Amino acid sequence: MTKYISARQAGIIAFLCILANKFLLLPSYMFKDNKSDSIFVMILLFALDFAMLPILLKLKKEFPEEKLFDILSKKITKPVTILFYMIFGVYFLFKTLIIVDVVYVYLKQQVYQEDFLAIAIMSIIPVVSHAAVKGIKTISRTAEFFLLLVIIGFVTCLGFSLFTTLNMPVLFTTPAKVFFSSIYKYTFSFGDFLVLYLIIDKIKIKKGEEKKLYKFSLSAMVLILSLFVLYYAKYEVTSFMHNDALSDILVFSVRFNAIGRLDIISMLTIMFIALFEVEIFCFAFCDCVENVFPLLSKPFIVAIFDISSLLCYFILIQKYERIVSLFSSWLSYVGIFINYVFPIICLTIALIAYFSRKKYEKLVDGGEK
Amino acid sequence: MKGKLKKIYKNPMFFIFIIILIFYAPLAIYSPGESRNRGVVTAVGIDKLGDEYEISLLTFIPTINQSFEEQKSIISGKGESVAQAVYRAQIAMGRKVGLFHAKTTIVNEELLQEDVTQHLDYLSRVASLPENTVFVATNKTAKELLSLSQISKSNTGLKLEQIVGFNAENLYVTDTSLEAFYEGYYSDVKSSIIGYLCVEEEGSSNVFASVEKASMSEDRGSDMSQEGGGQQSGKKKESLINCGKSILLKDGKMAEILDVDMLNAVNLLNTKSLNQIIRIKDVEKNGQILNLDYKVLDKQVIKTSKFENGYPVFVAKVNLGINLVEVEGAKEDVKFNTELSDINKEIENKLNNQIKGNFSKAIDMLKKNNADVLEINREFFTNNRGEYLNFIHANGGAENFLRHVTFKLIVSVEPD
Amino acid sequence: MSYFNVEKKVDEIKLTLNESSDFAYRFFDRNNQKIAFVYLKSIIDNTLLSESIYSPFQLFEGKFSIENIQNKIIKCADVKVIDEDQAIDELLDGKVILFTNFSSKVIAVDILSFPERVPSEPPTSPVLQGPREGFVEDIQTNVTLIRRRLKTPNLVMKTLKIGEESNTKVIVSYLKNIANKKIVERVLKNLSKIKTDGIIDSYYVLSFLEEHPDSMFKQIGNAEKPDIVVSKMLEGKVAILVDNSPIVLTVPFVIIEDMQNSNDYYTNHHYSSFIRLIRLLGLFVAVIAPGFYLSLQIFHYNILPLNFLITIADTTQGLPFTPFLEILFIFLLFQILYEVSLRLPSYLGLATSVVGALILGDTGVKAGLISPPGVIIVALSKIALYTIPEQASQITLLQIIFLVIGGSLGLAGIVGGMVYFINYMNTLDSYETPYLAPYSPRIEKDLKDGLLTSSVTEMNERPESFSPKIKERNHD
Repeated sequence: MTKYISARQAGIIAFLCILANKFLLLPSYMFKDNKSDSIFVMILLFALDFAMLPILLKLKKEFPEEKLFDILSKKITKPVTILFYMIFGVYFLFKTLIIVDVVYVYLKQQVYQEDFLAIAIMSIIPVVSHAAVKGIKTISRTAEFFLLLVIIGFVTCLGFSLFTTLNMPVLFTTPAKVFFSSIYKYTFSFGDFLVLYLIIDKIKIKKGEEKKLYKFSLSAMVLILSLFVLYYAKYEVTSFMHNDALSDILVFSVRFNAIGRLDIISMLTIMFIALFEVEIFCFAFCDCVENVFPLLSKPFIVAIFDISSLLCYFILIQKYERIVSLFSSWLSYVGIFINYVFPIICLTIALIAYFSRKKYEKLVDGGEK
Repeated sequence: MKGKLKKIYKNPMFFIFIIILIFYAPLAIYSPGESRNRGVVTAVGIDKLGDEYEISLLTFIPTINQSFEEQKSIISGKGESVAQAVYRAQIAMGRKVGLFHAKTTIVNEELLQEDVTQHLDYLSRVASLPENTVFVATNKTAKELLSLSQISKSNTGLKLEQIVGFNAENLYVTDTSLEAFYEGYYSDVKSSIIGYLCVEEEGSSNVFASVEKASMSEDRGSDMSQEGGGQQSGKKKESLINCGKSILLKDGKMAEILDVDMLNAVNLLNTKSLNQIIRIKDVEKNGQILNLDYKVLDKQVIKTSKFENGYPVFVAKVNLGINLVEVEGAKEDVKFNTELSDINKEIENKLNNQIKGNFSKAIDMLKKNNADVLEINREFFTNNRGEYLNFIHANGGAENFLRHVTFKLIVSVEPD
Repeated sequence: MSYFNVEKKVDEIKLTLNESSDFAYRFFDRNNQKIAFVYLKSIIDNTLLSESIYSPFQLFEGKFSIENIQNKIIKCADVKVIDEDQAIDELLDGKVILFTNFSSKVIAVDILSFPERVPSEPPTSPVLQGPREGFVEDIQTNVTLIRRRLKTPNLVMKTLKIGEESNTKVIVSYLKNIANKKIVERVLKNLSKIKTDGIIDSYYVLSFLEEHPDSMFKQIGNAEKPDIVVSKMLEGKVAILVDNSPIVLTVPFVIIEDMQNSNDYYTNHHYSSFIRLIRLLGLFVAVIAPGFYLSLQIFHYNILPLNFLITIADTTQGLPFTPFLEILFIFLLFQILYEVSLRLPSYLGLATSVVGALILGDTGVKAGLISPPGVIIVALSKIALYTIPEQASQITLLQIIFLVIGGSLGLAGIVGGMVYFINYMNTLDSYETPYLAPYSPRIEKDLKDGLLTSSVTEMNERPESFSPKIKERNHD
């Protein structure tokens, strides 16, 4: 029994992370600023996000067995690393809360029709906590198990939406200033490869398997972009009324009403993706805390996550409007750090390691000769 | 036993299950099921009656040993706002209102005198009225229409949903759902078209078609007493008629009622709109004066938008594949004189004039109302963006754009 | 020249066996040479005893010696000289023990015989086409059935005796060139750790072999047919045969094994794939259907299409029970009927089905106690359960769990429950093998015998999940 996860499993984790926080509220929320040009904003942000992947692989190549915490501690001192990890912790905690809240509001309106907070807590916390305690291997395997189901669900939603009336979205209407400010504003919804950085020592990438990571990440991005295109092709001006993109693009597939409510497909897909995502983020949060406070036991850290997320939810969020404002307020700074600052630091570390290795090899070769 | 308990005790998931059993399962045990708590609404009617609003909900309330039709009833509530009216209807129903299965939303003309979106706000934002419901208006009250729709069902087999479904597919051709209305409303030109169903007195001159059935009056009597609304005894009999009309809305208000011919003219550029008859009169052929009816079987439209001398010009080339379906005044059977089916120059001219005349009327009507339901703005925006934006900037915005557009229609007809 | 007192020895054994009623002995005395034949008449072959042991003794005219008896007199194949302290064990193994007054050595002659079942098709795994032989209670016959199919020197049969009182013979069998050494060692280690008085059936051994004994999920494979066991051994698994049990255990076990049926390999593989998908659907329906139906009724009426909703709402009106109690009631009713039908003799089976299906079901609906959709859903899930009969007990437990979760938490609970159980199953790795292989983790090569099967010609590699020593099936 190996402690590693395969490149494919790592790819699946990236796939789910990329899907999770962009398939409900984001298309509608982004439309307010960028209209249909949100599609281009997404492409740009995805491109920036995607740059994290080669940096990760480079880092993995230079430090094949080492934990991220150890790498950073060695290169940028332990206190700074601890600070980094605390920022990561905040990032994962709030990202979890945002996903939970967005999905909760969706389920409240479409599935339960009334508040079901007690039910939601009971359905999410035990499952997520159990998974986080058992570790990334269990989570990634389960995600692998349900992957086909998730992809089929997602693609079915996209596919059925083609049977409704679609108009070509009106593009190139956003001023450049607004367009580029979106990079700052929506950056918190990105940075999904950070999880892979945290588990860098647990990923086993055999030769030639890097492309699996690229394949899964690109597929997720293509799926999200397709969702954006179809969503704007369907709703455009009324997108402010449709906060549940994946579910809403299904609603008008009238032709299939003979077999009843198709929303069940999107409901299940959304629930599965959200649950995996929360599992992954809960694990990532615990990993951060575990590194900062190595003496704490895993179940104890998971309990901290559960309690802190519940407290944050009740105190800070709860209202839909508040979550939307949180999205683009101070959390954007965290997003900027995760998306741009941290990868650059990692790239620098990897390059320094690479050049010093090369130098050393040259010296050794010279000595031998 | 003690060891086993210890093992179980050590398993936190067991605790979770116990918590579910203790705290949640009683909820499940006592919960009577949603269908017993909720009235399932299949159609919503909103009427404005003076200063009050009346909500009528065609509701399915499950009752033992009753057929599906018997379990449907119209429950209404009045209030100073739609929210209040729904609340009162809910009290009258004795159950929570479930709008998830609503397929039709009906409003009366009076409600359309003001911006209808403010009255739909509560229903679509809070009460989760699905946006894919068909949105129609009526000349009388929505409540009356709902009552009559039930009678129509028992007499002619026509359901309200079937009528609106038929209209959406064959008459309006475009989507007339609540969502389509909102799309038009929130666009730059703020205009949209919704369906229109008539409640007419029998024998009324407004009725261009009717459905009769022998036992109608008898059935209606019993149905109405059960529903307890709509008609009073002694009043002239009314029935729900699919008059084929539709309403043009501007800024959420009623701007114009379009009859079938006007609607067909508006839909000339819509390639899906085929189900129409074009009649031309006094055509001379083979020495006979004939009236001819042609059915449109195929339509191809090429749209071009351009600016000429700084003014927008919209050119539409319409190629119609038509078929002669009726000949009036012929001395011999059409079947044996295939020449009659040929389209000569005179026929072509007449057809051309007829189509252009109708389209011109439609355009005039749309220009009068500033209602760009033909998406002319979008066409110009997509193809001539710079000029378009400059033009609307200088000429009072996108809403007024249609008034300045010169339309050129080129029609060619050929037998299909 | 008598050295030893044979009467005394016989008396001692008689006492050790508590003067058991099937204990028998006979003395043979010639020229002061005394021989005692001791045996348990319930487990030996009487004809063999008189023809191959007594008669030759009477006809022999020379001087008796241990060598003479072993090599010249007794006409049986399995004759061995043992120490006196082994006599009791051998006696209990169905051997005739010969004590002599001229040697301290003892002779044991194997003429074991007891009533045994002829290998026949086991009722739990019938095939339409394919071998119909099944294992029997006699371990030796079972060994024969395996040996007949694996004529190779690589076949290993290691015998162990487990159970302080029962002394049950347990044979660990595997192909030494294929089975992973670590797995074999782990099996032997786990077996050697067993401390119990008796092994009545292979299930007793199974419990000790499980690496997660508290789990409700099956972790050890079992088979009643030699062709299945042999095919599993060829994949690199280890078979454990237990005396007096027709069920042979196999490790490691992956859950997909129960989706596979020997029929699948004896029919067209396209059809097998279809049937396996049906089994998966069956599994899904069996576990989820009652809970899902309940969640729709209690929480999510809006998900139901209008026509279904109307039908359900119509039929559930006026029921005295809430949806949860109604489904629970029907569920328990079915479970009771199932238990009864198992216990009752077959001639009463018809009566139970009449009472169960017609009187309880039909009258229950007519009397307005239960609703037809409820009966259909529970019946459907109960029938679907038997698409994978090997998993019936686990699925029944899961049905109850999902019933409670679906009723109390709705769809979110069901999704959470599904994810939890898959998470949990992913932690159940035993004997170096992932429980949900080849799907989680995905093992590309093993998918050839997954839900969608390939033809036997394409299965030229052994499943990687069991880490066999030789991966290729067509090795030299």
